[in-house]
Amino acid sequence: MPSEREFQIHPIVQESVVHNSKALSNLQSLTASLFGISVGILGLESYSGFLVYFVFSFITTLLFYVLKVAPESLSEGRPPLDPTRFYRGVFEFWLSGAFSGISGFILTWTLFYGLVRV
Amino acid sequence: MVQIPVQTLHRDPQLFYWILIPITVVMVLTGVLRHYASVLMATAPKKQDVKAMREQRFLGRGVTLRTNHHVLSQKAFDVRRETLTAGYESGAYLKEPEKKGQPPANPLSDPSAMDGMMGMMKNNMAMIIPNTLIMSWINAFFSGYVIMKLPFPITIKFKSMLQAGVQTKDMDPRWMSSISWYFLCIFGLQFVYVFLLGSDNAASQVAQQMQQQQMPNPMGGPGQDPDKQFKAEAENLAVVEHYSVLDDVEERLLAGIKS
Repeated sequence: MPSEREFQIHPIVQESVVHNSKALSNLQSLTASLFGISVGILGLESYSGFLVYFVFSFITTLLFYVLKVAPESLSEGRPPLDPTRFYRGVFEFWLSGAFSGISGFILTWTLFYGLVRV
Repeated sequence: MVQIPVQTLHRDPQLFYWILIPITVVMVLTGVLRHYASVLMATAPKKQDVKAMREQRFLGRGVTLRTNHHVLSQKAFDVRRETLTAGYESGAYLKEPEKKGQPPANPLSDPSAMDGMMGMMKNNMAMIIPNTLIMSWINAFFSGYVIMKLPFPITIKFKSMLQAGVQTKDMDPRWMSSISWYFLCIFGLQFVYVFLLGSDNAASQVAQQMQQQQMPNPMGGPGQDPDKQFKAEAENLAVVEHYSVLDDVEERLLAGIKS
């Protein structure tokens, strides 16, 4: 069993994984609410609002990668856009943030759309 | 294609001050209260007597040895396995060795098991009571108002949920009443709690429910015969195929140096 032995030779500390993903998800939920405020003030509706949200949350993750993850992971010889130095899954890193923050986004979007526009 | 005219509705701006803001503030404060209630109600683990502690710890030792066997050398592992297995089989680690083989006591009569159940009940109560209170509060005071418009279209199916208490047939389902703002608050206030209480808070009920579903039965749940658990653990230990991470380490080192 090569994979299990690999894990035992290079063990992964569970606490660090939890800490890393918590840092990312906190950032995502806070920025999602700010995106909701800005989209609500701009008065975007339906598709364009969601589109702006997904684009901006992707940009957030990208900035997080460039500023925090890339310096160490590139110098280790990993390919670009590969967060596996700090995170377990590639898809988890790039996609999960957008979905975890969406409820906060909808809340602030509705609130500020209601306050400013209607 | 027929362009559906956009419905406009003139609402009193006072609605915001007397409905929207109170509901939001109450929701945030309930989350904060729930966090502190769960902090205060968290009971410190009860002191157990030596024998019961020994029983638990030896079971834990068996599990740890089984999962981490690869960090030990062959000899060390064999010695540990023999000692533990002998102890398990003879029942030397049991809390009450003379009671071996008897059926376990009724979990309801065992005071230590009651404690765990009380903790679970307290948790559930901390979630159910505020929810029922706030729901009935909103229904009593704020039903029948339309306060907001969702910024995205939804299907007609949601109308009965979002516009509860507002019986207007042709109204766009995007208009929502106070109860639906309450639902939005339940799901979306996580970021406020992260701001206020830090990321380890117990305020959000959605996160708490997910945690409860993921949590497996706490170790050595009530009503299990420790003797049987020991026997099973001895069997598990017997089938471990031991190897060490230090096998072939010199070759890996040389390969690492060469490249």
